[in-house]
Amino acid sequence: MSEAAGGLKLGTRVPDFELETYDPVKDDFGKFRLQDQIAQKRWTALFFYPADFTFV
Amino acid sequence: MGCDIITISADTKFVHLAWRKSEKELAAVRYPMAADPTGRLARMFGVHDENSGLSLRGTFLINPEGTLLNTEVNFYNLGRNIDELMRKFKANLHMSRKANEACPSKWKDEGDKTLVNPGAKMVGKVHEALAG
Repeated sequence: MSEAAGGLKLGTRVPDFELETYDPVKDDFGKFRLQDQIAQKRWTALFFYPADFTFV
Repeated sequence: MGCDIITISADTKFVHLAWRKSEKELAAVRYPMAADPTGRLARMFGVHDENSGLSLRGTFLINPEGTLLNTEVNFYNLGRNIDELMRKFKANLHMSRKANEACPSKWKDEGDKTLVNPGAKMVGKVHEALAG
């Protein structure tokens, strides 16, 4: 199956990353960058899920 | 003190937009919906299923320094419990402010009993520490 639980270890720095987003508040596309969160001293919770238009 | 939630799937931002606008269950959603169509980020976090090309239900809490503090991965058919996730976030936030404290399993919210300065004197005396 898959190697769940992760390639990253707890207590280590997450490498910087950038993703394209749809932002419902602005109703527009945007980008999310981890380094922006760090610069703004914000906590981040990433929620991975299998796919849009599914059920749970 | 808040926490920014970002949801991530292999869908593109275009599909995120279409889903958000068509599914009434998502009408209240305000968090950014991120696109990871290559699965690169899901692989980095170890939640990419190579057989399906989809991501498992992984939740990752990152502090303001960029350090990974909590991981929870559920298989496809088990939804996440937001109360437990909030507990983990609140506990991590508490401990980030009070580095000499630890939050035991029954800790739920601010004001609940913590273990202060867990060390040699507490070995074998956790019951007393929690009761005291």
